[in-house]
Amino acid sequence: MSAGFDAGAGEPPLLEVENLRTTFSTEAGELVAVDGVDFSVEDGETVCVVGESGSGKTVATESITRLVDTPPGTITGSTRYRGRDLQVMSADELRSVRGNNIAHIFQNPQEAMNHCFTVGWQIVEALQAHQNVPDEEARERAVDLLDRVGIANASSRFDDYPHEFSGGQKQRAMIAMALVGNPDLLIADEPTTALDVTVQGQILELLNDLQEEYGMGILLVTHDLGVVAQVADRIVVMYAGKVMERGDVYDIFERPAHPYTQALMRCLPGKGEDTRGIPGSLPDPTTPPDGCRFAGRCEHAIGECEIGDQPDETSVDTDHAVSCVYYQQGYDTATVRDETLETDTGDERGASDD
Amino acid sequence: MGFTRYVTARVAWAGVVTFIIMTVTFVFIAFAPNPEVKRAATQAALQGGDPTEAVERVRELRGLDQPLHVRYIDYVTSIATLQWGWSTMRSQPVTAALVEALFYTAQYSVPWTLLTITIGPLVGLYSSANKYSWRDHVATGFAFFGYAIPNFFFAIILLLVFGVWLEWVPVIYRTTVPVFSVENAIQLVLPVFVLVTGSIGGLMRVSRNESSEYMNADFVKTARAKGVSPLRAYALHILRPTMVPLSTTMVGQLLLLFAGSSLLIEVVFSIPGLGRLLFEATIAQDTNLVLGSILVFVLVAVIGNLLQDITYTVLDPRISYDDR
Repeated sequence: MSAGFDAGAGEPPLLEVENLRTTFSTEAGELVAVDGVDFSVEDGETVCVVGESGSGKTVATESITRLVDTPPGTITGSTRYRGRDLQVMSADELRSVRGNNIAHIFQNPQEAMNHCFTVGWQIVEALQAHQNVPDEEARERAVDLLDRVGIANASSRFDDYPHEFSGGQKQRAMIAMALVGNPDLLIADEPTTALDVTVQGQILELLNDLQEEYGMGILLVTHDLGVVAQVADRIVVMYAGKVMERGDVYDIFERPAHPYTQALMRCLPGKGEDTRGIPGSLPDPTTPPDGCRFAGRCEHAIGECEIGDQPDETSVDTDHAVSCVYYQQGYDTATVRDETLETDTGDERGASDD
Repeated sequence: MGFTRYVTARVAWAGVVTFIIMTVTFVFIAFAPNPEVKRAATQAALQGGDPTEAVERVRELRGLDQPLHVRYIDYVTSIATLQWGWSTMRSQPVTAALVEALFYTAQYSVPWTLLTITIGPLVGLYSSANKYSWRDHVATGFAFFGYAIPNFFFAIILLLVFGVWLEWVPVIYRTTVPVFSVENAIQLVLPVFVLVTGSIGGLMRVSRNESSEYMNADFVKTARAKGVSPLRAYALHILRPTMVPLSTTMVGQLLLLFAGSSLLIEVVFSIPGLGRLLFEATIAQDTNLVLGSILVFVLVAVIGNLLQDITYTVLDPRISYDDR
């Protein structure tokens, strides 16, 4: 997959997320799902947001176009699409961006389509929400797209209802629905998690092909590092609503800097002996701990890790930053580096850029 | 084509059900004492005649001396050919009395039904969209009030306030005014209002709860992510799936009220409709008229259930017509 090309000077990037914070008011108090997250996506590149379930990945991506219900949610910070802040624009303006410029695919294709309408009708609806296209032409485009995403007999399947599609076919149809408006950015929230393994690969390959064809940026949420290695250009590692580490795919896989990233890597089958997972569990999102969010589960944690706020991001390389005290002035980086992972990963996973 | 077959099968079933109910009614009436025979006996005794002979004469005249199966066949053919007999109370054919009564029942039933099926689901949807706000609480309170208060009691109170004290509406229903006139509309406001409050309560609650379920559904999120307008999302992506379970409740509620409350409402407002006709026929022991009125209610119920079955399958494409 191609790396993101540099946008010309003055041209605002495709998507910039800055200090995004999403909270929910619950009976147990304020729940902080996303806590000051920054990242960006350039045209044509794939950015993967990884982290275990509950780390705020989905909420973060759904906050971008304000899909999170407010109330009970509250979103602060800014999410800019080509320089236009989606958080402050009017509902109508936002509506013209959704589906048209930024499209979404969700985790569970079984529930993502309305069971009362045909698949074709729902694809046409996505198109006609933004463009004044006559029904006949819209149908033609939808059939073409269904065909393109690999639905056999597309023109007869157009009138089928979602329950007549298999899980994989539904996700293909969802992709067709997302592409019908020719978006520049596709936000895919764990698009393969609910599908069986044989179909997962096909869907990823399809996304990969379509990205080249349409030249769109993809923001892919996943907890599957195997998927990340296959498709990512850049990676954002999230834990408990915070960004732990970011960098391009080679940096993260070959030299994972943050203990959390390393722990994730060790969970990959064939990456060392550690297949027990990461001991412990996520901190309570209503009362986030002081200091680094991961400190409670970190084997290298020292007193400083549990004081103040999440450590500031420290640059360890060009385009590779980590939020861990050991990378700050006066600490020994070698303590947290994991040599076994670094040698392992170099030749097996990281370079698999196909 | 599965759909045609399904509908045909359903219609056939409806016919069987009607037939069974008719038979049960026949058996009841065959074994119940006949007021006409009793009257003839009393009259004969009073006039010094022979009661037994008079009874025989009437039984012969009415065909009651025939064997049961002959009477049954006779009964079924006359129902099928719409010869429902003579109403002694009204001194006119039963069918004519029913048509007249239906004319008055329809005048309040049609607006009441239309208002219920439009307002109920919409208010429920609105309530669910503004869940736990004061608007939702007002709507919920209204729903519970309408659901809980007995219709006839509410009707009497309203009649007392608006008819007797404020004198805005006539206390006694006038059959003399034209159907499409302001006077008629005014005198129908209260019965329609009472019935609507009684029926939308349940519908609002079901609609609110069902649509709350869809309010956060993934496919509604998909619709919003596609850039569909909120109004369209509500109407098509939330209300449409809500209508599937709601249509069942709707028919049930309407039938229950039509058969149950309309009788009381007609008595309170003195509307000479079907409910009151059945009530008066029962008091007067006018067997033919009672039978005729019951048949009308049976037909309405059977047709209502038939429509409910069909709309259910039409509304939810996941329900197949095959194997049913």
